[in-house]
Amino acid sequence: MESSVPDFVLFIGRFHPLVVHLPIGFLFFAFILELYSHWKKHSAHSMAIEFALLAGAISAAVASVLGYMLSLSGDYDVSTLDTHFWFGTVTTIVTFFAWAIRSGKIDIGKFNVLKSKIAALTLVVVLVSVTGHYGGNLTHGSDYLVKYAPFGRTEKVVLPSIEHLGEATVYDYLVNPILDDKCIGCHNSSKKKGGLSLQDSTAIMRGGKNGDALIAGNAQKSELIRRTMLDPHHDDFMPPEGKTPLTEEEKSILSFWIEKGNADFKVAMADLEAPEEIISIASLMLGLEDKTGKSGIAMPIVDEVGTEVLKDIVAAGFKVRELVYGANVYEIVLPSKSVSSEKGDGLDVKLQKLLPIKNNILWLSLKDNFVQDRHMETIGQFKNLQKLEVEKNPITDAGVGYIASNESLTGLNLYQTQITASSFDIFAKMKALERVYVWGTTITEDQVANFQAYGEGPTIILGM
Amino acid sequence: MCDHHDKLRSNNKDLQAVEKQLDRREFFKKTTMGIGALALGSLLNTEKLWSAVNPLSHPEQAITAFTKNKLGLPHHLPKAKRIVYLFQSGGPSQIDLFDYKPKLTDMYGQDLPDSVRAGQRLTGMSADQTAFPIAASILNFKQYGESRAWVSDAMPYLSEVVDDLCFIKSMHTDAINHDPAITFFQTGSQQPGRPSIGSWLSYGLGSDNDNLPTFIALVSKNGSGQPLYSRLWGNGFLPTEHQGVQFRSGKDPVLYLSDPENYDGHDRRKMLDYLNKLNGIAHDAYGDPEINARISQYEMAYRMQTSVPEVTDISDEPDYIFDMYGPDSRNPGTYAANCLMARKLLEKDVKFVQLYHQGWDQHGNCPGGVRHQSKNTDQGTAALIKDLKQRGMLEDTLVVWGGEFGRTVYSQGQLTDTNYGRDHHPKAFTMFMAGAGVKPGFTYGETDDFSYNIVKDPVHTHDFQATLLHLFGIDHERLTYKHQGRRFRLTDVHGDVVKDILT
Repeated sequence: MESSVPDFVLFIGRFHPLVVHLPIGFLFFAFILELYSHWKKHSAHSMAIEFALLAGAISAAVASVLGYMLSLSGDYDVSTLDTHFWFGTVTTIVTFFAWAIRSGKIDIGKFNVLKSKIAALTLVVVLVSVTGHYGGNLTHGSDYLVKYAPFGRTEKVVLPSIEHLGEATVYDYLVNPILDDKCIGCHNSSKKKGGLSLQDSTAIMRGGKNGDALIAGNAQKSELIRRTMLDPHHDDFMPPEGKTPLTEEEKSILSFWIEKGNADFKVAMADLEAPEEIISIASLMLGLEDKTGKSGIAMPIVDEVGTEVLKDIVAAGFKVRELVYGANVYEIVLPSKSVSSEKGDGLDVKLQKLLPIKNNILWLSLKDNFVQDRHMETIGQFKNLQKLEVEKNPITDAGVGYIASNESLTGLNLYQTQITASSFDIFAKMKALERVYVWGTTITEDQVANFQAYGEGPTIILGM
Repeated sequence: MCDHHDKLRSNNKDLQAVEKQLDRREFFKKTTMGIGALALGSLLNTEKLWSAVNPLSHPEQAITAFTKNKLGLPHHLPKAKRIVYLFQSGGPSQIDLFDYKPKLTDMYGQDLPDSVRAGQRLTGMSADQTAFPIAASILNFKQYGESRAWVSDAMPYLSEVVDDLCFIKSMHTDAINHDPAITFFQTGSQQPGRPSIGSWLSYGLGSDNDNLPTFIALVSKNGSGQPLYSRLWGNGFLPTEHQGVQFRSGKDPVLYLSDPENYDGHDRRKMLDYLNKLNGIAHDAYGDPEINARISQYEMAYRMQTSVPEVTDISDEPDYIFDMYGPDSRNPGTYAANCLMARKLLEKDVKFVQLYHQGWDQHGNCPGGVRHQSKNTDQGTAALIKDLKQRGMLEDTLVVWGGEFGRTVYSQGQLTDTNYGRDHHPKAFTMFMAGAGVKPGFTYGETDDFSYNIVKDPVHTHDFQATLLHLFGIDHERLTYKHQGRRFRLTDVHGDVVKDILT
């Protein structure tokens, strides 16, 4: 629906917000001068007051005309607009009236008793304020003024806090906050730019002047998304120049909701098959721990590790590397041949040093260090291990038994150890285990083939 | 120095010291040099000036740097811990190796339809050809493994490990000539001067082995064809300690590490300590961060005197390992021997091992050339993958195989039934990866029937680089270095991680 109002009228109309501040300034200035004169009881400023009133009246008249032109665009809520229109008109008339009294153009004896000069000016100021307030509501939305006020914030809906991403309704928890932040300033029930309000579900479904805001299931064709994806210099790009554009993350959340969530206002995250990326963004938005990690591996939430503890571990000969900055998860490596006793003496003490961070270790390498079965018992306590390298050590099946209950280990290196095919049953029990390296043990190709024939359990990798 | 002034000084020793601090010459020396040094430092790089930490004078900070990455890396959980990049320099012919195009056989000798080339610019070597006759590969292709990957008979050994490989058949790049293309692949820019991938990783993640360089380059000996320059493994504007160290193919992998004749090195430690002290003084006076780089390189060289002979000694490798890598592996400096060396370096947790093998530039005699090149590299590549796998190292080691671009479907020069040449082709070529975090037995991307244009899932050089960094836990958009007023990154302002090939 194209507006039938000539472009030129709209162009002129847009000067309304500029011009409208002139009468406000003039009239307040007149009021202050009037009060001052009254207080000092002399009339030296009389002429200035008169002049300010006249200037205020004329500029108010111009502003009113421009305001009317702007209102023809149809972008504004009709009832607020009406109020603003009438208050503006009345203000202009009363201002002329006040000027007339002040300058003696109208001089009725009775009025003098009522201290007409100051009374009229007070009325003018009140009217200007009220008009200005409604004008502000039209431009910025009715909650703009008091949104951050220390009182009266109850109208804001507080969503119940959630612990799991699945509980979150996509619209309430993810979409609405984005719209609220980036769009609702201009698309609300009082200021409907392009006839569109995104204030609530009904308004969104109603669409705007250019038709539907969104097409369920088709993000690309949905105006709401299309406009944010345009080249920023394109005329249709939203939000318009000067406003903060949507981030890539926000766009993908909106697209996800429209595309996968069919723009359903009730659908929850748990009902949808969300890609890893969306889960990651949503978790961040809701302040939940990003369990997938960016690389798709589950990341345990662990306690912080003190510097003293780390120094102790480094002093024991381990290499320590943080695997994700600030996430307190570590890779620990004991360089090969750090332990020289064939019985593995000395390793016991070293492993004890790791116990304070046993849940923080994701990758552990102890290759070629005379690791014995008893050491595997200690390692069994490292429940968040994802990768364990204990190759080239005298470990037997009993040693492997100690880590059987680990549920996060995916890669286990046992090459050149003393394990046998009896360990296969243990491997099969370990839930997350994907690959086990057993080259250089007594395990034969046939044994591996037999085990793999079941189709369950990890891949067992032999060598040549 | 300036002792002749002492006679003008007070007899009181304490006063003398104070006088010396206020000495006119001393004053001018300090201020002029100080200001000069500051200016110099900021010309070089302000970040370096304020952030450089001398590891020797601040051991405490060295420990924190080790456990706490000062750049805030990794950004996410890495999959890869090390990488071996088998660079096939010259532009291997994807059509004769992996990108099987059976439909071309019937079109043998026909002119390449204009609609395929679509006016694409060609090199000066074939641009003025009057015809562009289609040269279907005369090598025999077969499918291998459970993944049914197509490999030509030039690479019989590689065909045994296809189920561990992740082929990307839709690589494309910006450059059409060797030097810009290879520089583009290794540094993200066609113009020389940017840090190479290995330097970025060294800068971002640091070293896992204090006794060996983080980034080592190995170049096959007797290489012919397009030249390779050391800037391909250079540090660019990153601090010098991040540059790749080239191991040579001869008796001494690193020159001047062994003691000169008639010197047994007994007082070298003392000499170095004193030299470090002198360098430390120079650093305090000038503040030039490159002095720190120099100190750390002296120390690294000192440690390499024991670590390098140890790691380059292949005498303790059993025969069956040599057999697996092929007869060349006993001949130091060959591609196969370098593959074996790479495994040994990776075992020592060298983060980035970069191999280069020249000669993949088959402008003429393409079938014979591809066979010859494959013969020299096929067994070594396949053996390295097998060897890493059986040791469990493929778990966190990334293997990359690829050149700087591909080759054209049309014949450069005369096409006969048994021979053809192929010109450079940047618009579509094949690479493969294996190991840490990439899908095994997987093929990504497709080209058209001519292996000329990409029809599905294109992967640009910058996408490949972004993916590589991603596997190391790095967001390629956030690993930057400020130089000459601008923050640079490996992928410049481009690159998308190819998520579909990640496990």
